[in-house]
Amino acid sequence: MRFRRPHPGSLVAVAIVALLAAGFFALLRAGGHEASFLSIGPYLLRLLLFSLAQAGLSMVLSLALGSALALALARRNFPGKDILLSALGTTMIMPAIVAVFAVFTVYGRNGWLAEILKALGWPGDINIFGYPGILIAHVFLNAPFVAKIILDALHLIPAEQWRLASALGFSSGQIFRHLDWPVFRAELPGLASLVFLLCFKSFAIVLALGGGPSRATLEVAIYEALKVDLDFARAAWIALIQVAICLTATLALHGVLARPPVATTSRTTISRPDAPNPPLMILDGFVLTAGLLFIAPLALSIFTGLGHITAVLDEDLLFALLTSLAIAAMASTLACSLALALGAAVRTHRVGFGSPRWAAVFDLIPNALLAVPPFALTAGLFLLIRPFVDSAVGGLILLPVVNGLGALPFAYRYVAPRLLLAEERYGRLSSSLGLTGLTRAQIVDWPLLRRPLGSAFALAAALSFGDFGIIALFGGPELRTLPYLLYERLGAYRFEEASAIGLLILFVAFMLAHMSGRWSHAPD
Amino acid sequence: MLLIDQCRLTWPDFSADYSLKVEDGALCALIGSSGGGKTTLLHLIAGFETPQSGTLTFRGSDLLPLQPSQRPVAIVFQDHNLFPHLSVARNVALGLRPSLRLEKAEWALVSEMLEAVGLTGYDHRKPGEMSGGQRQRVALARAMVSKRPIILLDEPFSSLDPQLRRSMIQLVDELRKRQSITVIMSIHTPEEVADVAEQMVLIDHGRVIQAGSPPEVLRTFHSRSSTAPDLPV
Repeated sequence: MRFRRPHPGSLVAVAIVALLAAGFFALLRAGGHEASFLSIGPYLLRLLLFSLAQAGLSMVLSLALGSALALALARRNFPGKDILLSALGTTMIMPAIVAVFAVFTVYGRNGWLAEILKALGWPGDINIFGYPGILIAHVFLNAPFVAKIILDALHLIPAEQWRLASALGFSSGQIFRHLDWPVFRAELPGLASLVFLLCFKSFAIVLALGGGPSRATLEVAIYEALKVDLDFARAAWIALIQVAICLTATLALHGVLARPPVATTSRTTISRPDAPNPPLMILDGFVLTAGLLFIAPLALSIFTGLGHITAVLDEDLLFALLTSLAIAAMASTLACSLALALGAAVRTHRVGFGSPRWAAVFDLIPNALLAVPPFALTAGLFLLIRPFVDSAVGGLILLPVVNGLGALPFAYRYVAPRLLLAEERYGRLSSSLGLTGLTRAQIVDWPLLRRPLGSAFALAAALSFGDFGIIALFGGPELRTLPYLLYERLGAYRFEEASAIGLLILFVAFMLAHMSGRWSHAPD
Repeated sequence: MLLIDQCRLTWPDFSADYSLKVEDGALCALIGSSGGGKTTLLHLIAGFETPQSGTLTFRGSDLLPLQPSQRPVAIVFQDHNLFPHLSVARNVALGLRPSLRLEKAEWALVSEMLEAVGLTGYDHRKPGEMSGGQRQRVALARAMVSKRPIILLDEPFSSLDPQLRRSMIQLVDELRKRQSITVIMSIHTPEEVADVAEQMVLIDHGRVIQAGSPPEVLRTFHSRSSTAPDLPV
């Protein structure tokens, strides 16, 4: 029997599964048999109820505001619309810890709203801890994202269908029913699953705005079990529950994301026939004003940092900036390499070996990683390497690995379709010309891949750069990233310095995301 | 009669100026190179484009102040004619009432029209379950059921194979004669309509170069094509 050399993608898949298994095994082993699922049952139930409730509410509010904004923006043209759309795109990459700062600045006890209310003579006190703060931060981050995705999908409605609607004399209601609603029906399930998953796994926002252990997500509870109580078994059990729930949601999401794209047309979209409808003009005006009143102060609050930049320019900041950049570079290199290997495995199995089932398995791995709680994985892996390294070095090793795995689903979505496209366009030609290996990669794949790869690298770097996740486990005087520095300043109520650091984080993340966007839209 | 008189449209990169007469009940074929302005002329008649100057009348009535849905015009595009979430019958029914609240007699009319285009029994199918030719027949049925006196066809059969294209043109011709409607059709392969069209119009650079009987317009079309500069070798 002829031995077939394993595909690099297969090795990567095995390595990822082995890494996850090793991490969880180490965590369970360290915990011994003291804690069981039953012993933490009531606590777990409380956590679950809170996690589900806040994620469900955040999802409903984000979808409601995002959908209304998308429709209003689709119907209306006004000066500055392009700038507004760019701003909506920015919140998609805004680090959660920066959003936390924005919520404190606008809605905090001494925030802008409190100042206005005081000036108006209101004697009360604003308390944003708990549901209000969490929901505001989640909706602030997710509603613009929802609006952008739906708006992009609405723009894909073929111009011919708008002309038909116009020629057939559709009313506003009929336009919504026959043109808008099919788009909503296609987009909302995927968006709902994604927003729910992101809010369910939310860490930085719930940690900072939850207001106490009674209001924790599973992710925060894992962190507290590891960092505060050193209860590894409890962390492992909570992590396993989270994996089960998130994996179910991720599988549902995978099905939705795998659906074929909406039909496109090369013709330009004509103006919508329902735009001149007076009641809709009033409704859209209300939605846009309400949306702006909610989003704009939060976004603008970050720019208060401009005046305090010089106050934070010290060694700590430089060290944190360099650490963040180094970790982001390593994480995105890892994410892109893994995405390439898995994408190539999908292509080989689907086209080369004609086994779509195996291709589907490789295709599922990046999305399945969305279900893995980074704290539990990190803690497990740290237990394995602890005999050989100290905490700071362990952090420097594990941060790029876990951030890279976290960015893999996003990098994969840029890279994998292009690998398949290269095969569809030039696969047969390459075979007939005898192009293989590195020569084929250089001539056939690289011209199609270099821009999406650059795009994936920049996006992965942006996500890792602004991440305030497992750095919370390792952070301290010896290891600081910029988001950790921001968290420290917020904890010490040094809001002016926090604003400057937040602005710096947002600026770098935005530049990286901007590069990602430019490369992804550049011609091959 | 449809009368287009010096209708002028201008964009930064293209301008058009149309003058044309189309007799009632005629099949008028618009021919010419891609990007020459055939679709723009159809959009002008349908009301998707508004001219800066000129007049557009049908049987003496001014069409320019009318919205697309108020014009005596139905249109079939090359693609994206059907709403994918609606059944075939409901797609056709949109031509009668956009609210889809039809009387029994109106549903019977829908079935009758589907029968006329050779799609009996396809009422409950979704567009995604049909071939390209069948989908265009559905679009044609919707245009016909609306009983508008003018039907505009914007390269409706370009994506079909030549044999199917010819049979669709025959179908259009039969339906037009049966219902006494005017058909204005843009087409890439003029020979295929030469037998059935009463009028052929050559359009280039946004202008009507020639309008007349198919043989004479085809001669001009071919002579212009043959005098086109050769590509460098």
